[in-house]
Amino acid sequence: MPAISVTNLKKYYQVYKKEPGLSGSIKSLFNRKHEDVKAVNNISFSINEGELVGFIGPNGAGKTTTLKVLSGLLYPTSGQVSVLGFTPFDRQPEFQKQFSLVMGQKNQLWWDLPALDSFILNREIYEIPPVQFDKTLKNLVTMLDLKDVIKIQVRKLSLGQRMKCELVAALLHSPKVLFLDEPTIGLDVVMQKKIRDFIKQYNQKYQATIILTSHYMDDVKELCDRVIIIDNGQIFFDGALDKIIKKYADKKILEVTFSGPVVKKDFSIIKAAKIKHFNPPRVVFSVKRRSANQVAAKLLTKFSVADLNITESSIEDIIRQVFTGRDLS
Amino acid sequence: MRKYFQIFKTHWQSSFIYRLNFIMWRVRTILQFFGVYFLWLAIFIGQDSVFDYSKSVMLTYVIGTAILRSFVFSSRSVSVGVEIANGDLNNYLVKPLSYLKNWLARDLADKLLNIIFLTVELFLIVLIIKPPIVAPISFSHLAIFFFAVILAMMMYFLFSFLISSFTFWYPEHNGWPLRFFIFMIIEFLAGGLFPLDILPAVAFKIFRFLPPAYLVFYPIQIYLGRLDFSQIVSTILIMLAWLLVLYKLSRIVWKKGLKIYGAYGR
Repeated sequence: MPAISVTNLKKYYQVYKKEPGLSGSIKSLFNRKHEDVKAVNNISFSINEGELVGFIGPNGAGKTTTLKVLSGLLYPTSGQVSVLGFTPFDRQPEFQKQFSLVMGQKNQLWWDLPALDSFILNREIYEIPPVQFDKTLKNLVTMLDLKDVIKIQVRKLSLGQRMKCELVAALLHSPKVLFLDEPTIGLDVVMQKKIRDFIKQYNQKYQATIILTSHYMDDVKELCDRVIIIDNGQIFFDGALDKIIKKYADKKILEVTFSGPVVKKDFSIIKAAKIKHFNPPRVVFSVKRRSANQVAAKLLTKFSVADLNITESSIEDIIRQVFTGRDLS
Repeated sequence: MRKYFQIFKTHWQSSFIYRLNFIMWRVRTILQFFGVYFLWLAIFIGQDSVFDYSKSVMLTYVIGTAILRSFVFSSRSVSVGVEIANGDLNNYLVKPLSYLKNWLARDLADKLLNIIFLTVELFLIVLIIKPPIVAPISFSHLAIFFFAVILAMMMYFLFSFLISSFTFWYPEHNGWPLRFFIFMIIEFLAGGLFPLDILPAVAFKIFRFLPPAYLVFYPIQIYLGRLDFSQIVSTILIMLAWLLVLYKLSRIVWKKGLKIYGAYGR
């Protein structure tokens, strides 16, 4: 049985529209135009235990809404949702003790108290046996290098320290399912990397099922074997990350450094290659996947080449292409 | 149960952080008290009885309401509206925790803190202005009075929670406009500024059945011994009935609200 299964999930919001300016405000006092926003529009997927899946998509695509439905915060407009065999919106304590939601821009820690006080509160709320609590806390504190930090008032902590403490608070009850919404937002690269490593470690160590949303492609690239791309409330792609590359990136990138002088015209003999950047002696070509080797061979025989490198299009480029529908080359 | 005790303790710890805030709030309560106290003292100049209240009974009423108001009307559940509006409610909804009990625990913590300060303040006030305080006519009146105060606190808590729940539908300004409107009326109808039975008979006949009258006015009437046995029984019964109604109503509204909850703030 999958840990998470979602079938034909829809979540519509009603919002009211106001014309700009004071006259619009006055008009809206008497006549409000309501409109449905289709935040999530008929999506289905299922996730197995121990999987680490990345949700990606532009702002407002419906990622967070989906996570909120899975956490039981939002009542679905229609469709079936099951997490660990529970219906999230019923909010049964047995379910709540087995999952956690971490939102990068919201905090659960008590602002005026040291994080440790919030941890102890969670110990009682989740009814964690003291022995297990001490062990888990010690473990998490070591993994995240937080030894002295947890005794300092939360308001005095740096963003990175606070985020780590938030993660600890969310993991004290050893959840089997973890929803991470932008856990690395606003953090510097070093801290991003640390959080990322920690998530990976946690996933492997505890076989936890994790859904992660992030705007940083590095997070997704490094952590998730499988991604679900959401756009406009619908699933655009669901599968292995390298499959997107195969499916949408039909081009390869050839980076060549020439040892002699070259001009653009020289390359007109190689029909299959399109010039992406021309900055002699370095020239970058975009080439159809299947003719990449041929082109490389031709370049090597016809020109004097100092260095040649064949790479995949970057995942960022592919995602951008997917969302904008534009051709990369 | 233990989890709510822990919330109680954590709330205390957090309250002590804001010492200045706390002191200012206490001073405000005392000033409010002096305002009403001296007003009534002035009214009694040259007469011993006004509206069927003797001077010492009226001044006891005034001191009593001041204490009860700072007690009954001190619900932290105003924050419920804020947490609904800005999405902080999410933090609680994902946990195995009752949001209502969470706030009840925090309210109790708050009120216990009040008692401690109030005792000191009351001691000082009695020492300085030596008000003529009437003692309760019997021990059982005092006991019933305390019971009525506990019911009143529960009533106010549930009512406040209920009003805050409407923020689900009107999240603008954290639900403050509705709250402000309703609680102005409650303050008036509770008898915090004057005893309700000095109002015209028709008005009193209506107000005496509405919940606010049971928050302050009736508990003090019990203390002052102005109700006979059957009146005391009916008062307690009416309070229990209102308590039940408020509880059911707040649960229904809360559940309906959660269904349209937007879990805002990302």
